[in-house]
Amino acid sequence: MTTYKVTGPTAFQGHKPGEQFDADLDENVERRAIARGSIKKTTAKKKEDDSDA
Amino acid sequence: MPKRIALMDSVEVDSVDLSDFSRSVRFTSEHDQVDVSGFNPTGANEFLAGQTTQSVTVEFFGSYGTGEVHATLYPIHKDREVVPFAWRPDQNTPASATNPELRGNVQLLQYGPGGTRGDVDTFEATFITADPAGLVFETTPLP
Repeated sequence: MTTYKVTGPTAFQGHKPGEQFDADLDENVERRAIARGSIKKTTAKKKEDDSDA
Repeated sequence: MPKRIALMDSVEVDSVDLSDFSRSVRFTSEHDQVDVSGFNPTGANEFLAGQTTQSVTVEFFGSYGTGEVHATLYPIHKDREVVPFAWRPDQNTPASATNPELRGNVQLLQYGPGGTRGDVDTFEATFITADPAGLVFETTPLP
C-alpha cells in the first residue's frame, strides 16, 4: 500500500485535489498519473513482511 | 424512474476526474448482424448476433493545464496506452442500480484537438474497448 497526494487540479479516483489517500495503484496508472502531475507519492510502498516486524 | 437532465455526470479517464471538462457522453454497443439465412418457405432472412463493437465518445473542452484534458489524453494516444474509463449519470452518488457506472479499459486511437477563433475550444474523443471484458454498466461502487 502506498500513500499518495492529489496534486493536480482535478479529483483522482474520487479523491479531491490536496487530499491524501492510500492505494495499491496499478503500476501503469501510477506512472501516468505521476508523469502528468495528478498525484505524487508521499510514502513508499510497504513490503508485505512489514506487518511481521 | 424520473426523466433526466444531464447536468451532474461523472467522467473519469485514467482515474482522472474530467467531468468539469466534458459536456457530452455517448456510449455505443453493437453486435454485428450476421446473415445465416438458408433457403426457406417464406424467403425471410435469418440473422445471428455476431461480434460486438463498443465505444464511448466524449466531447471535451480543450484544456492544457497540468493534469487536465490534454495532459491526460495525449500521452494515452501517443503511447498507445490502455487505460480505465468510467462514466455514470450522477457524480454525487456512488454507482448503484439507479446510477449505473459504465466501466472498462479503453484505448484512444484518434486524438484531434483544435480551435476556431472566437469559439469555445471543444473536440470529441472516441474511446474503444481494449480487452475482452469490454465496457459494462456496473451497479456497485469500486472498492
